Amino acid sequence: MKKIPVSMTVNDDEVDIYVPAHWTLLDVLREELELTGAKEGCGEGVCGSCTVLMDGHPVRSCLTLAAEARGARVLTVEGLGGPGMELDPLQQAFIEKGAVQCGFCTPGMLMTAKALLDSKPEATEQEVREAISGNICRCTGYAKIVEAILDASHKSET
Amino acid sequence: MRLPAFEYLEPRDRQEALDYLARYSENASILAGGSDLLVRMKQRLVRTSYVISLKHLKDLDGIRPDEDGRLCLGSNTPLVSIIRSPLLQGAYRGLTDAIRRIGAPPIQHYRGTIGGNLCLETRCLYYNQSAFWRSGRPRCQKDGGEICYAEENSDRCRSANVSDGACALMALDAEIVLESREGERSLPIEEFFTGKGESPFARSPDELVTTIRLPAPETAFGSSFRKLTYRSAIDFALVSASAGVKVEAGRIARARIAVGGAGAAPLLLREASEKLLGKSPEDGDAVAETAAQAGRHAAAFMVDNLGATLEYRQKMAAVLVRKAVQEALARAENGNARGRRER
Repeated sequence: MKKIPVSMTVNDDEVDIYVPAHWTLLDVLREELELTGAKEGCGEGVCGSCTVLMDGHPVRSCLTLAAEARGARVLTVEGLGGPGMELDPLQQAFIEKGAVQCGFCTPGMLMTAKALLDSKPEATEQEVREAISGNICRCTGYAKIVEAILDASHKSET
Repeated sequence: MRLPAFEYLEPRDRQEALDYLARYSENASILAGGSDLLVRMKQRLVRTSYVISLKHLKDLDGIRPDEDGRLCLGSNTPLVSIIRSPLLQGAYRGLTDAIRRIGAPPIQHYRGTIGGNLCLETRCLYYNQSAFWRSGRPRCQKDGGEICYAEENSDRCRSANVSDGACALMALDAEIVLESREGERSLPIEEFFTGKGESPFARSPDELVTTIRLPAPETAFGSSFRKLTYRSAIDFALVSASAGVKVEAGRIARARIAVGGAGAAPLLLREASEKLLGKSPEDGDAVAETAAQAGRHAAAFMVDNLGATLEYRQKMAAVLVRKAVQEALARAENGNARGRRER
């Protein structure tokens, strides 16, 4: 099988690896880099649980070839908090508001929310709901997730 | 779900991309954002030895007016740039409204491109399924077999075009520019679609869609887009409608109505559109009559293959056309009022 070189930055680490050309970014993250935060749900771009940030934008890592991510800055949920075990305000808000039930959608939700708050620190409820409209959660009914993201957004203002 | 193996090609410029297309022809697939192609590859609906990535073709990314004032959209322009472009307001609102309804806003928009959406493969509930799901029975016509599961005894594939962008571009009378090593040609959007479910596009395997050209913006022209889905994001259209209308001296001078989800091409409803000509934009009866006729014509092209019942989709076709025409007329009149004020 023909392998191709892929160099990218993943959570501030420079990564230089050889992977099969047909591997997706998700395959590389989970199988090669052992970053299993991003989840494979549908594998077809519908559920959003594999969402990571590529150069600051949320993308479906299951529908992004590793080769297409060459040279990109990739941020996964593992890179979200500060150094050590510090949590990102979004992660803290998800815990405090009870926005996590089974947890499968959580990494994707967090990354989508992160991209939203990075570009719009004072997002409205409507903007939050639109932003996460591509992320499916089958447990919470979304109410707590929306609350948590709004909570994190208000905290970042102060 | 793993992708099948292929060779990944990364042309540095347009010429190199066209060389690859000429060399590998139907063994190659063009990768733009990947949100349609990679899913179909995972489902083993497309077998391809070479994937040609457009990622370095920066000259295909951008929106510029040409010397005649027509707007040229590079095929590799991300959907989010279309939504945000100040050049695509006013007369072109139908297109931006449509693009906003594609997939889920935060995600597909950074990967998805206008050319990719235009070339969205036709879909059918009985075709867009996993290899395992399909393995239980003989292949359908789109899958290389001889049966149609959507319509009994159909001698051809009945899959439907559900591209929101294509429907809106049809109403806007866009032109599609294709390039190969042999040269360039441009097709009116009606001719870009074959109407055949098995092979929906007039693009030959060595050609690349490089530009989508929109007519120069006019005052008193309005466009709009409506889409029926169960969810407000992610879903493909069950049925959709788009309208483009020009109002002159208080009368409708030009109208183009397109319906998506009815046949393998966005359906251009010429006869129904003509009913509007010469009528006042306030003439509710003319709009209702046009919508009813558009609905009847579109219904004839629909089969039960996109989710929701066929009867519901058929009824809603007329409703969506009515709403799209009303909105396009209101926008044309607003544009008119603005034009008058500016004069």
